Amino acid sequence: MLVYREKDNLIHKLHPFTLIFYIGIVFLLSLVFNHPIYLLGLFLAVGAVIIAGGHFSEWKVYLKFSVTMIIIIMVINAIFVQAGDTVLLVGPRVPVLGKIVITLEALAFGAGMGIRLLVMISIFCLYTYAVHPDKALKLFSRLGNKSVLVITLSTRLFPLMVRDFQRITEVQRCRGVKLDTGRWWERAKNLLPVISVLLLSCLERSLQLAESMHARGYGSGSRSYYSRELWRPRDYLILSALIIGLISGLWAALKGWSTYSYYPRLTLFNPGELKTAVIVVITLAVPAILNWGWKKWPLLRSKI
Amino acid sequence: MKNKPIVVVISVIVLLLIVSIVPENPLYNINWAVFSALFISLAMLAFFWRFERKGINSKEVTLIATLASLAAISRVPFAVIMSLQPTTFMVMITGYVFGPQTGFLVGAVAALVSNFFIGQGPWTPWQMFCWGMCGVAAALLAKKYKGFKLTPFAILGGVCGYLFGWIMNIWHWVGFVYPLTWKTFLATYAASFPFDTLHALGNVVFSIVFGKSFYQVLLRFRKKITPTVLITKIVTGTHKQ
Repeated sequence: MLVYREKDNLIHKLHPFTLIFYIGIVFLLSLVFNHPIYLLGLFLAVGAVIIAGGHFSEWKVYLKFSVTMIIIIMVINAIFVQAGDTVLLVGPRVPVLGKIVITLEALAFGAGMGIRLLVMISIFCLYTYAVHPDKALKLFSRLGNKSVLVITLSTRLFPLMVRDFQRITEVQRCRGVKLDTGRWWERAKNLLPVISVLLLSCLERSLQLAESMHARGYGSGSRSYYSRELWRPRDYLILSALIIGLISGLWAALKGWSTYSYYPRLTLFNPGELKTAVIVVITLAVPAILNWGWKKWPLLRSKI
Repeated sequence: MKNKPIVVVISVIVLLLIVSIVPENPLYNINWAVFSALFISLAMLAFFWRFERKGINSKEVTLIATLASLAAISRVPFAVIMSLQPTTFMVMITGYVFGPQTGFLVGAVAALVSNFFIGQGPWTPWQMFCWGMCGVAAALLAKKYKGFKLTPFAILGGVCGYLFGWIMNIWHWVGFVYPLTWKTFLATYAASFPFDTLHALGNVVFSIVFGKSFYQVLLRFRKKITPTVLITKIVTGTHKQ
């Protein structure tokens, strides 16, 4: 049922924390940045990592979906927002909205927000295809092992209960209870005992499970855990690059370099303000660069 | 202190809200879709945190997992009709019998787990919160009555149906609607009204059909697993003397 597939590349052989940290940082920066060039940089970096992870075909589907959303955002923004000096088109008068004025600035703002949406969608794509859900949950199990245990148990019981439901309905069918034919109301009525039995049997199972856990010593002392995930040099390399990227990104945000005022009139980009964007892109693309080296040189592969 | 997590979380939320209306700082006028999701997550953190602080009880853990799984399953066949979901009823009856802590966790975990199979997204924390709160509301109702009273339970089911939709509307509104004005706010709520009504009606019907029997089954189960809790009470009681 899971969409995650193990692949042979560096992105899939990272510690789950590194990958989740990467995703978190890009998500944060995509919210902090407002400048189209900075956002475009983020998009390129994430795209490089996704391609390095071997998920280009899945990513294309995400991108197609988000392009339609971007067009909707741009159209709505252009119609509803009247700010901006460069008027491109003056439309007819509409009852609720008043006169429709489409400005270049509003279109550009819509496009900028569109790039932000692209970054976010790509991040979701990377999370879905490159992070194993169990490994991600395991990371949190140190913080709250009871909650994580409840979630994993419940996820595991889900398919089991579907099978239970099928078993009970089959038993009922054998006894001549009509579950598929007859009137809608009758069928619903015949389903009631099935649901009650399902509740009873699942409570029974929960008790058995608890006893079995108790017999194996659950809760008898402080929790022990073993972690198979290794910290390798590649994780440290990527994490340090990410921290540099985060600091330079926040620095740019504090200095105001990464904000761009679309209104009242579009201005030229100041090249001096874009230097940090280059740093951010390079640091965030480090996983992709390392992956390239990892594939090319066996020596590097053995070292990291 | 038993309620330390809740106190801490509420003060953090109030602090963040104050910071967000002070101009000239990075949080001023921040993206509201993300900010509101942050609040919801913090509120849920309080409940999970309280759950972690309580002692380990394997029966409680498996009970929450099983009931959450059952509630999650009951959602899947109805996923086509968006708002008609027996999950709300399942969570409420659990909260009614087992109290607010278990009620909240069953609701929150049911939302999370069912979304593993239906589709995870930015709406997950909101659904977790809403269903969790349905469980808490039913648990608070149970404190007022002895045994199962169908009429108040069914009425609460109806109210929860609407409240669920209204809280979910906030996320829809801050996430997709621009500009954020009273006009768009009311329009969003008017648009969701039929769905919320369906949800509320569904809750009432499920309460009438299953309420009494589910209550009895769960109550008997509660009696079955309570002895351990009773013994610890006696032990701690003698310690105090």
